[in-house]
Amino acid sequence: MSNSRTVILLWQLAILAAILVIWQWGFEWSRALLPKAYVPKILDPYFVARPSLIWQSFLRLGCFSDAAGFSACITGSDNNLWLATLVTLKNTWWGFLFGWASGIAAGLVLGRSDFLARVFGPYIVALNSIPRIALVPLVILIFGLGDLSKIATAWLVVFFVVFFNTFEGTRAVDRDQIAAARLLGASEFTVLRTVVIPSALAWVFASLLPAVSFALIGVIVGEFIGAERGLGKLIIEAEARANASEMMVAIFVMMFVGILLAIAVRSLQSYLLRWQPQFEPSA
Amino acid sequence: MIAPPGQGLALARGDVPAAAARTRIAVQGLAKRFNASGREFVAVDDVSFEVKQGEFVALLGPSGCGKSTILNMVAGLLPRSGGRILIDEDTVETGKVNPRVGYVFQRDTLFPWRTVEQNIGYGLEIAGLPKTERAGRVASAVEKAGLSGFAQSFPRMLSGGMRQRVALMRTLILEPEILLMDEPFGALDTHTKLEMHKTLLEIWERERQTVLFVTHDLGEALTLASRIILLSARPGRLKEDFDVAIPRPRDPVAVRETAEFGRLYSHIWHSLGEEFRRTRAD
Ligand SMILES: Nc1ncnc2c1ncn2[C@@H]1O[C@H](COP(=O)(O)OP(=O)(O)OP(=O)(O)O)[C@@H](O)[C@H]1O
Ligand SMILES: [Mg+2]
Repeated sequence: MSNSRTVILLWQLAILAAILVIWQWGFEWSRALLPKAYVPKILDPYFVARPSLIWQSFLRLGCFSDAAGFSACITGSDNNLWLATLVTLKNTWWGFLFGWASGIAAGLVLGRSDFLARVFGPYIVALNSIPRIALVPLVILIFGLGDLSKIATAWLVVFFVVFFNTFEGTRAVDRDQIAAARLLGASEFTVLRTVVIPSALAWVFASLLPAVSFALIGVIVGEFIGAERGLGKLIIEAEARANASEMMVAIFVMMFVGILLAIAVRSLQSYLLRWQPQFEPSA
Repeated sequence: MIAPPGQGLALARGDVPAAAARTRIAVQGLAKRFNASGREFVAVDDVSFEVKQGEFVALLGPSGCGKSTILNMVAGLLPRSGGRILIDEDTVETGKVNPRVGYVFQRDTLFPWRTVEQNIGYGLEIAGLPKTERAGRVASAVEKAGLSGFAQSFPRMLSGGMRQRVALMRTLILEPEILLMDEPFGALDTHTKLEMHKTLLEIWERERQTVLFVTHDLGEALTLASRIILLSARPGRLKEDFDVAIPRPRDPVAVRETAEFGRLYSHIWHSLGEEFRRTRAD
């Protein structure tokens, strides 16, 4: 067991090293060795920078190599890497929270009421058919270039995912479980509280991970289209200056943020859904 | 357990209490029609029977003959199309739960997000019994179900037999006087089924609830019941009514060697066989 794990880890490290080496020197080598037409353009540092340049940009944007010192740089510039990350994360959090809460509420209400579900059904289907990204310019027009429009974008993306999951979850509640609860003395409200909601929560929690990553996507897209600060703004600025290494720094930070959020959400999920068979702690 | 002297003889008459025992469940001219894709379809037709205090009655019939339908109407889960059902002289109203009646389902209806302990304590919890008072009763119910050590487990970690014991205890902890059971052991393998029979016999022989037990398994009916009501194939009609005069306490394996078991088995088997043939002829 541990043997194959070491082997897998070794392979993973080897692949990482290979990627870094090719990224760093692959363009020069292929230019020296191959005819011009066969040199892969994707390796061109003009587009993808190179690890050493990205590392330097990271130190500069992250205020590690500033002459004035770390704290002066952090407070001095208003779009350094850490501030941008913080702003993006903050907007992701609020967009996620509002989207999640309103999605659950709407899903529960429509899921429990046949009448409302029928009345609003076509509207929800219609709204859901609009690619959410198409609405971002409109959102920015309404809410301006500040944080509010990013939160609204994230909300828009998250709401529908969570709404549909909650709605389905509420519909999928086992009728016999409801009957069992009633026969054990539960009132209509107790059935809602002790059977419908816990059983729908499985679906709601299942939407946690997509909701978080959609919130992040929503915020970044909002920042692309019009923003004063944030990681998306950083990328757009770097693009304007054709600075591939700064762009890569922002992309890597997003990657790490994404990984950390996914890990956090997964452990929360496996705790909340520990009663479910598919969340059996793996050996 | 050995029956006290004298009781064995009385029980030999199918341990049906004397005629003086009061009627707990009275079903009169019960009918159920379903609307299946526009066509009216008779599932239960003019069924009448009574269950007296302390009787263990098995409702036996081929699959699809309307046993669950009858039981659901008795429980007030399903509206009836005709006839009357009285429980303790009160007409059963659909959608109104009678706290004296407990129900055990054919399907697994445990709440998967609750632990064994929380499942068993559900009824007491929603009745508003304080936690400290609940704890003792729940613990002894867990013990009775032979699930000590599994109190904190979730249902997914249990075997089918254990889950059905939890379901049984979840109902029994509320101390219902009347117990309706819909093939509660139908999904279990033979061995587990026998163990469940043993558990149920022990509980019933001690507490003597009034039981209406639905099954299509003749051996199960003979093992458990004091009386068997045989239903015809669809539409469900009353066919025959037998007393099962096997003395108690019963052992689910030993009962099979009694003469009464053999006699009733072959008699009902032929009767049931006709019904199965009718089902297939449909
Ligand atoms: N809601 C319903 N709508 C239409 N038909 C129904 C409905 N419920 C049951 N039936 C029909 O009524 C008949 C009796 O069903 P029921 O579930 O009572 O049978 P059963 O005797 O309990 O069978 P089993 O032993 O397989 O559980 C069946 O033919 C079934 O298809
Ligand atoms: Mg049935």
